[in-house]
Amino acid sequence: MLDWLDAFLISGLFGVVQIIGLGLLVHLQMGLTRVANFGVAGFWGLGLYVFGILYGKVDWPFGDPWQFLVCAIAATAASALAGLFVAWLISDLDVDGALVGTLGFATVIFLLATAWSDLTGGAAGLGGLGFPYDAGPAKTNEFIWFVLTTAIVAGILAYVLWVHRSPYGRLLIAVGTNEPLARSLGKSSTRAKLTLFTITSGMMGLLGVMQAVMFRFIIPANVTINITLAALAGLILGGITRAWGAVVGVLFTVALFDIVIQFYVPLPQEWYTQAIPVAREAIFGLALVLVLLFRPKGMLGEMKRPQLMRRIHDFK
Amino acid sequence: MKDTGRGVGVVGDDTPQETAPTPTSDAPGTASAPTADPAGRQRPAWAIPLLAAAVVAIGAFVSEFIAESLVIGATENAPLVLAALGFALLYRLNGLLNVAFTETVTLGGYFAIWITSTTGWGFAAAVIPAGILSGLLSVATYLLVFRPAKKRNVDGLELIVISFGLALFLRHALQFVFGFRARFFETPPPNTIDVLGVGVPSFRLLAVASVAVLSFAIYQFIRRTSYGLQIRALASNEGLAESSGVRPLNVTLLIWFVAGFAGGLAGAFFGVASAVTPLLGTRQLLLILLVVLVGGIWDLLGVVWVGAATGIALTAMTLWLGSDLWAQLILIVLFLGLLKTRGGRLTAGSKV
Amino acid sequence: MTSSERTRAEIHVRGAKKSFSGRTVVDVDELVLGDSAVEGLLGPNGAGKTTLMRMIMHSIPLDEGTVTLHKRDGSTITLSELPPHQMVSNGVVKSTQVVSDFDQLTILDSLLLALATPGDESPIRWKAERELAKKHEEEIRHQLDRFGFGNPNEVAGSAGEKKLLDIVRCLLLKPDVLLLDEPTAGLPDDITQLVMSAVRELALGGTSVVIVEHDLEVIWELCDEVTFMAEGRVLMKSDPETIRNNSLVVEKYLGADHA
Repeated sequence: MLDWLDAFLISGLFGVVQIIGLGLLVHLQMGLTRVANFGVAGFWGLGLYVFGILYGKVDWPFGDPWQFLVCAIAATAASALAGLFVAWLISDLDVDGALVGTLGFATVIFLLATAWSDLTGGAAGLGGLGFPYDAGPAKTNEFIWFVLTTAIVAGILAYVLWVHRSPYGRLLIAVGTNEPLARSLGKSSTRAKLTLFTITSGMMGLLGVMQAVMFRFIIPANVTINITLAALAGLILGGITRAWGAVVGVLFTVALFDIVIQFYVPLPQEWYTQAIPVAREAIFGLALVLVLLFRPKGMLGEMKRPQLMRRIHDFK
Repeated sequence: MKDTGRGVGVVGDDTPQETAPTPTSDAPGTASAPTADPAGRQRPAWAIPLLAAAVVAIGAFVSEFIAESLVIGATENAPLVLAALGFALLYRLNGLLNVAFTETVTLGGYFAIWITSTTGWGFAAAVIPAGILSGLLSVATYLLVFRPAKKRNVDGLELIVISFGLALFLRHALQFVFGFRARFFETPPPNTIDVLGVGVPSFRLLAVASVAVLSFAIYQFIRRTSYGLQIRALASNEGLAESSGVRPLNVTLLIWFVAGFAGGLAGAFFGVASAVTPLLGTRQLLLILLVVLVGGIWDLLGVVWVGAATGIALTAMTLWLGSDLWAQLILIVLFLGLLKTRGGRLTAGSKV
Repeated sequence: MTSSERTRAEIHVRGAKKSFSGRTVVDVDELVLGDSAVEGLLGPNGAGKTTLMRMIMHSIPLDEGTVTLHKRDGSTITLSELPPHQMVSNGVVKSTQVVSDFDQLTILDSLLLALATPGDESPIRWKAERELAKKHEEEIRHQLDRFGFGNPNEVAGSAGEKKLLDIVRCLLLKPDVLLLDEPTAGLPDDITQLVMSAVRELALGGTSVVIVEHDLEVIWELCDEVTFMAEGRVLMKSDPETIRNNSLVVEKYLGADHA
């Protein structure tokens, strides 16, 4: 079974789906509500590590799948709480303050993962994780997990599409485009940001859980700013204000490098160890600069409220 | 991962501070206490001199701790102050939070290595040229990226993302020029100079001197020259300054050059203390940001003082806890707490 | 509390002072707004009218004094202690003086935004959009027709359209007290008439309306009572006719040729 599928391809596709998921969530935060979040790696990494520690280091009186579910829910909740806390921290700050607050949070998570080695395994890493089921060969297990993760990301996409069609999304856009005016209409922008960060950070934590299980091993190098910037590069290339922006953009960035170039372009073998991964980051960076300079709304362009409203309402 | 360029093991092989003293380690003077102690308990008359000896010992230990924290903290973290100063120039005078500034720091390190290895000069001779190259790089990023961005009215969130993108690009593109691996200076080991009983490598004193000279020069320049007047006019009210014809491109380019110069020096000093890696500057980003935001409550000199205080606190905590990671962690949490309590005033005040 | 129920909500300003860099901009001992249906606030530039309005909304903090709201049900609340976004839930609404809009949102979006309650805006309420539109369908159609907006599915284009949209958003909030800061500035005459009739209608329904306006015709036509301010102080408050013929007002504001 699954002979046609390369094991590395599964993990490549898994990575693409992860970044799409993160990009979709960043779209809600930065695209609609325009709250800077440069600490995506922190929320994602918190879910990753809380799950890893609970699953790998605690003696649970019950086995899988309950052990997985309990740990996954706890990790998601931890990230959600962290999101609430960070949103509170930055709620009355401008974009510079939000940058420092979110980046600071992510750095705290990274430093904890490195320094608290009794708990996290430090730089050596944390193992002892596995799939909450056993369907035979490792590749089959990984494939099932990839499908599950894809389903979760599809769920996130569905939620984002719903947000665009809901009064909640309208509130987020209003806060993002003109916060003082939204407040003068009686909208509590602080409350909107707190709920937004709680939900989206929880989702990021859940994606971290999925990552932990897929690779069964966690190191602090997993949770650096590079994952934040990969999500951001994809989202901005696709279109930061558009629901499908992250999907389209990540296909042209992460998928292009990690799938197409890795598997289908014949390049000298020695390039794959360092030259390509380094070039990948350089090109992501360049893409961010060029897109924001020359096509700031990305490939999909402006938010298309008129078309959307025409489709869901019949006021003329 | 985070410990290159800082921490406790970089003072020099022959100095006694190589291992971090903790409250339990032997300090001079306490060695005689264990033998005298039982006697002291039997004969109370001895207690007073013993107590005095203990006080002296603790005092010696504490003063040693303070001296070490001050000397190591101020000298080892002088590059941080330089980097924060450069960052603050752009932030306060050009209103730009430029994340890519950290790459002028990184490249300063690479430039210095390149100069020493191609010319055979010593480190001290390579510092200024490396700073100049970084300054030119900084000017180039302004002309190629940030000036076009301003002209296209890219602002706020998008401008910060652009600077993140530029940083990401430079940090990785440079590896195709200078190689993927960490690089080390092939200069002879530096002399160690005794400061308050703590051995300090000569290049660190050079770094401190650079901070002093550069911050004094920048301060004087901004306060006392006509260019400085224009810079201040530009910073306090861009529109007004522009309409009264103050904004010659030269003023802005000069700010970017000096900022890059300070960053390049910082990178060279960071690099000579351990190694030059692509992540050299990025690792300092958060500390720089925190120092600039908090120090910016006052003015540019505030950035220097807060930077120096941060360096000393970092070293003191590292010596005390025996781990630079926990020291950084505590410092970041403290700064974030400050950020919250000072609220919007902190960021608002930082831009002139 | 039935004895203290009133027909209109009132705002009481007491000892309110505000100065900017040493210059006193507002210094109002005692002012009651809302004791008549539509009140005008008149005065030369720099009289402190806009600042006073912002102080009432607590978007500018007071140096001294209090602003209290006496609701129709007889209860009282101190507005000068509330955060700005809680004004609306207490029935106090103000239009914006400068033209201000949500860049990405369509006209219909704006109306639905004004109509939505925190419950509608829950991040997990599945059918909220449909329910919201259905519940307010008639009202939305009524406002769209009345003011002759073009296509409600477009973003408001001209400054006039944005201004009008701002007023309509305020109307939809069904305020007990509505503060209008130069509502008709920049609007064409026919639209000005429409806005005035909408305001009158609202006032008949029990809303206390306070208007700052430089178009004097609007003030004389619309207001039941006029407060005259100059140099941050309330100089007099009376019916439009008296104000119009008062020598002080003529001297300070209207100019000799007006009378």
